[in-house]
Amino acid sequence: MNLSFLSIDVGTIIFTLCNLLILFWVFKHFLFGRVHKILDERQNDVSETYKKADDALEHAKSLETEYTGLMENAKEESAEMIKAASKKAQQRSDEIISEAKSEASAILAKADEDVEREKKRAQNELRGEISELAVLVAQKVVEKEINEADHDRFINDFIENVGDLK
Amino acid sequence: MKVPECLKGVTGVDIQGPGVAYSFDVFGITINITETVIISAVIVIALTALVLFLTHDMKKNPEKKRQVIAEWAVQTVDNLIDNTMGKGYERMAPYIAALFASSIFGSLVSLIGLRSTTADYSTTLTWALMSFVMIEYAKIKADGIGGYLKSFINPLNLISEVSTPVSMSFRHFGNVAGGMIISTLLYFALTGLSTAIGLAVPIFTIGIPAVLSLYFDLFSGFMQAFIFINLTMIYISTAKSED
Repeated sequence: MNLSFLSIDVGTIIFTLCNLLILFWVFKHFLFGRVHKILDERQNDVSETYKKADDALEHAKSLETEYTGLMENAKEESAEMIKAASKKAQQRSDEIISEAKSEASAILAKADEDVEREKKRAQNELRGEISELAVLVAQKVVEKEINEADHDRFINDFIENVGDLK
Repeated sequence: MKVPECLKGVTGVDIQGPGVAYSFDVFGITINITETVIISAVIVIALTALVLFLTHDMKKNPEKKRQVIAEWAVQTVDNLIDNTMGKGYERMAPYIAALFASSIFGSLVSLIGLRSTTADYSTTLTWALMSFVMIEYAKIKADGIGGYLKSFINPLNLISEVSTPVSMSFRHFGNVAGGMIISTLLYFALTGLSTAIGLAVPIFTIGIPAVLSLYFDLFSGFMQAFIFINLTMIYISTAKSED
């Protein structure tokens, strides 16, 4: 048995409607729902990855700035250190030089002193010998012309001198 | 139907509605389980199985081709809705997809020798009424119940509203059913021609109907399904901007 070619059948309408709604429900839950869930997850993953990359870039940039600053500081510090060290060395060398100078002048002064002393000693010695010689010469020259007192004194002096000399 | 002399081999051309497999009465209304009902149920079951297969065990990084196919299908429908209707109609996507799939597969079953479900006016009328309800709902939502009723002060508007589902359903039904009739007629004509020139086997019926069915089943089936969902989308999305 067949329906007529152009028929409107209530049963067909009801079943077709049910079929359409069932298919709608199936598509909604098992096709669109599932696929959208996966797509959203993937989208989240992608944005998370991008965010991570951005964060890493930011971090790297901040580290770069930090290290550049540190490098600058280190350069300054080393320059300062070199400056201080050279200054110190200069000071030290100045000190050493001045010390050496003063030492040398002290040595010179001492040498002068020694020379002076030696000279004095030699002069004294010479003077003693000359006076002795003068006395002897004078004795020989003025033998009897010296008074008693002077004579005694001369003798005593002589004895003393001889004793001293001895 | 009387067959001309040259078509002696044709015993008769009989184009009928869908066959009735079983019928019962509920509250005095005869409910027929027709060819259309059975075939569309089979289509729904097959599509459900296909969907479950395609979306089974999906991964964030697609490993299987079927997931790619499922994603492609979903995104194609989403893009179509986005392009045709604009933003804010994302929830329509499963309905449009269900309508399109029902229509396309309902037309294409004729390729495996079954009767197209869309060649049954009850089917296209149901879909058109369903779309009609959604269109009117969108209009009421946009204008309010008062504004909606006010639009019918002009009785031409009422006619244009009612004509929407009628034209949609008859367009779809007429194209598919017309294609079916032409195919049937051509088949019988070719059989008659084969007999007329004395061939024992109706050799003309082998290749020629296949070429014709390429147009009537494939092309026309796609076209009508596409037109139907496009009209539905356009009517619903323009409900807001209409006065």
